[in-house]
Amino acid sequence: MSKAEQILAGLGGDANIVDLEPCITRLRVEVEDPSKVTESVLKAAGAIAVMQQGTVVQVIVGPEADTIASDIEDLR
Amino acid sequence: MADLTVLAPVGGVVHALADVDDPVFSGEIVGPGLAVQPTGTQVVAPVAGVVAKLHPHAFVLVAEGGRGVLVHLGINTVQLGGAGFVLHVAEGDVVEPGQLLVEWDPVAVEAGGRSAICPVVALEAAPDALTRLASPGAEVSAGDPLFRLA
Repeated sequence: MSKAEQILAGLGGDANIVDLEPCITRLRVEVEDPSKVTESVLKAAGAIAVMQQGTVVQVIVGPEADTIASDIEDLR
Repeated sequence: MADLTVLAPVGGVVHALADVDDPVFSGEIVGPGLAVQPTGTQVVAPVAGVVAKLHPHAFVLVAEGGRGVLVHLGINTVQLGGAGFVLHVAEGDVVEPGQLLVEWDPVAVEAGGRSAICPVVALEAAPDALTRLASPGAEVSAGDPLFRLA
């Protein structure tokens, strides 16, 4: 699986994503169901850290966030 | 590889990254650095390098040796969608230290309920690679030395 596919899986899949936006070091994601987010999968995909507050998940991936976000968009 | 002096991209008061109200920056998750609580409206290049990433509210310059320096203009300012930011360079441009990159209005950002503090981060650098050239609490002008990177 590509990094983008792994991150998408860690976020609970396409259906769980309400909004996904890259900032310069992180993906800011709004999810439908936070319980479907699996931090271990996101970290295995290369996330440096995962911050979760309610339905907003920030996946810290470093400066390649833009590229990963567009790869994820291509999968959706 | 020669040490890299990183300049203050904005004038203002120097803070430790730990003071920044954002867990990614305060925890130095993407790298060590310092922050500046800005007073001016001009944002200048902290190093010589290539503009590798450019958002209205943040940019990454890649300097000699592939060393990346991230400047983030305010916290949660991605939500502004670029409103209030005037860009003077484009991605891929080669810039000189002190060159004007962006103009913005930190007072308006604060008035909108967001912190205008500007983290300056040595991306993926080891914490001990950084030597502070300005101490938290000091006032700096844009272009003054902020820290040195081994």
